[in-house]
Amino acid sequence: MAPGRKLKSAGPAPPSSTLVLDNGADTIKAGFVTVDDDTSDKAPRVIPNCIARDRHNKTYVGAELEKCKDFGEITFRRPVEKGFIVNWEAQKEIWDRAFFDDKAPQRCDPSTTRLVLAEQPNSLPALQTHCDQIVFEEYGFSSYYRGIGPSFNAYQDIQAIFHTPRTPDTIIDVPAEVILLIDSGYSHTTVTPILQGRPLHTAIRRLDVGGKLLTNHLTRLLSVRHFDMRNETYIVNEMKEAACYVSLDFKGDLDKTWKGTRGERRKDYATGGGIAKDYVLPDSHTRFHGIVRDHEPGAAARARKSAVSTEDILTLRNERFSVPELLFNPTDIGLRQPGLADLVMQSLWVLPVGLWPGLLANIVVVGGNAKFVNFIQRLQVELLERVPDECVVRVARPEDPIVSTWLGAANFARHEHADRLAVTKQEYEEHGAAWVARKFALGLGVDTLR
Amino acid sequence: MNNFGVIEVASTATKTTPGWAYVPDTGPSLSATALQPKNRKRAARNTQPGLSLSDLTARQENKLRKDLEALNRDNQRDVSIPVPSSSRSSQKHTPTVRKILQSQKTFANHLDDYQALLALAESNPAAVVNNPLLFLNKPVVATPQAKSASPAPVREKGGSKRGQAAAKRAAVKAAAAAAAEEEEEEEEERKRARQLAAEGEDVEMIDSPAAPPDEVEKLVETYPADGTILPAYRKRPPAAHPGDDDPLLVSVVPSFPTDEELRSLMTAPPLSYMDSRASFGEEGERYPIRVFCEMCGYWGRVKCMKCGVRVCGLDCLEGHKEECVTRYGL
Repeated sequence: MAPGRKLKSAGPAPPSSTLVLDNGADTIKAGFVTVDDDTSDKAPRVIPNCIARDRHNKTYVGAELEKCKDFGEITFRRPVEKGFIVNWEAQKEIWDRAFFDDKAPQRCDPSTTRLVLAEQPNSLPALQTHCDQIVFEEYGFSSYYRGIGPSFNAYQDIQAIFHTPRTPDTIIDVPAEVILLIDSGYSHTTVTPILQGRPLHTAIRRLDVGGKLLTNHLTRLLSVRHFDMRNETYIVNEMKEAACYVSLDFKGDLDKTWKGTRGERRKDYATGGGIAKDYVLPDSHTRFHGIVRDHEPGAAARARKSAVSTEDILTLRNERFSVPELLFNPTDIGLRQPGLADLVMQSLWVLPVGLWPGLLANIVVVGGNAKFVNFIQRLQVELLERVPDECVVRVARPEDPIVSTWLGAANFARHEHADRLAVTKQEYEEHGAAWVARKFALGLGVDTLR
Repeated sequence: MNNFGVIEVASTATKTTPGWAYVPDTGPSLSATALQPKNRKRAARNTQPGLSLSDLTARQENKLRKDLEALNRDNQRDVSIPVPSSSRSSQKHTPTVRKILQSQKTFANHLDDYQALLALAESNPAAVVNNPLLFLNKPVVATPQAKSASPAPVREKGGSKRGQAAAKRAAVKAAAAAAAEEEEEEEEERKRARQLAAEGEDVEMIDSPAAPPDEVEKLVETYPADGTILPAYRKRPPAAHPGDDDPLLVSVVPSFPTDEELRSLMTAPPLSYMDSRASFGEEGERYPIRVFCEMCGYWGRVKCMKCGVRVCGLDCLEGHKEECVTRYGL
């Protein structure tokens, strides 16, 4: 029997357990929050949000990807495009296996559970409606809130991320008074100013550079310069995560990695200049993950020459920093959009100048790209060049930027705001999907602060 | 291989996917034409600001566009991975759910649909008055019922009739959204928008009025007298410093936005997907585009005379020539 046919299954009391879901394009972050904090999850489970097929035509759905050993030539089908759930056929299969099947590792009964789902800002109304309909009509969650991911981050202890000195009796603001949140994920990068947990919608800006684009760009560079890696997205992605960094001196680093004009022997190039790294590719027999090593001149050539070469070595030079550089200079590949620092400035220009000091002093970067070495330092340097001298610019990232949105959403689920915003199944059946979408779009409003 | 002097011009037809939509051609759309300058005549004289490479030919632009499309793909080649059937798949679905599950639309399809809907609303408002998909991004003046746990003070009680009327008016105009500003200004803006809409131009996005003026007054009253949205700093100020009175050290503190301003910012409805995309404004990029060597990634200091690709020096140029010859002939 379809749970959607049940009538008035939701009682008046809010459900005791909440499924908090940050449904990213690359990974789902999921966990349960209950009324008493002891039984709730402290950290989410991270599930790959894809259906993958390896070269032996074996298919892996979601978390089954852990069982996959050989990632050569693996292909992915992703239900989330550009950050929004588009293909529900695939998404439902992944959710089913994670939460609703009999053997699911995080099994839950939707009719007694509340769902808090994080979505990307500025979604298309049609996609939002599809999401609401599936949640209520297919799964029959008893209560549900769909909010934009960046604003959930405000429900964390933001000042702890900045290590602001404070006395022990300081009251922690939840939601934080003012933050500027940068979410740099798989599909894109967004800038969201947030006041008291309410996103300032007119100032949200998006840059269409995300982890996927960076990986594909690295793939292209390697395919031109080394081997054809075009079918090895997974391996290149691991390489990007292990070896790439954001350069603080792009010009200087580029000069250090240049091989020089014809016949010239540049010392930095020969020794690696502290930048070049050797990456040992996985061979799918003994090694399933690549290894980063310091550059050893001639190692790659020696390995190629010896008949019984055991490892394929790839020397990464300017690829290491010119790939994340796209976040700060998208025009380098012809994408006509401003870089991240200019993106922040565009967002700020929409707002009254009086808000600038507060926002600039509380910039939080979340999402997988925040893990690049020197990312926040570079952003801080570039912002300092652009803002008035008097402004303090503080940029920080949480300890684990990938699960940060989930942690915020979990705090939100405990907060009384969740009760105010959530919609019950009964209300959905009474007023319909359009009403629900309108209510979510309306948000908290300002009339009842806190 | 010589392609007989035929240069492929960037085409806008990109997708072959199930489902279709009328996509009206209203000015530059962000998705496809972002990279193509409108006017290629006298490119050298009126170079587009920022496009310091005035040498972008149609061929290069086409290549650029294809490159960017390739960078946004999940897999290098087209693959279709069927969803493995599970035990639950035999379950019954409601008609709506079945429709959603069977839909094979991609994000690009949905985006085209949405743009078409917006354009339709602009040209023929009556056709879409009751389409819920268009008004999700608009502010709602009165919710059907007070759902929030804590009562929202004034809006509910007087708002219903007037609010609905206002919503209808906004619907007819079918503009998208913006912050609710002061009443008179809005009235004017709406007039302007109506004129613009009549001329078939882009309509600036305007809100339905948040609340009539008398209600706004009441709203203000409901706030605690000292309760600004962002409360003032209540802690003790830092210890005095001898340089505090030095006129040279005085810093300018911008005036803080008023509650009204903040409230309108915080209740403004979301922008649409296209509007939130960052782009260079009228003036274009502030700095010239950096160019890199196609082969090694160093600065692109030399241009290949045949195809215009940048390389850093003779070594890379030779490497590039091999490829260039196979592609364009001697």
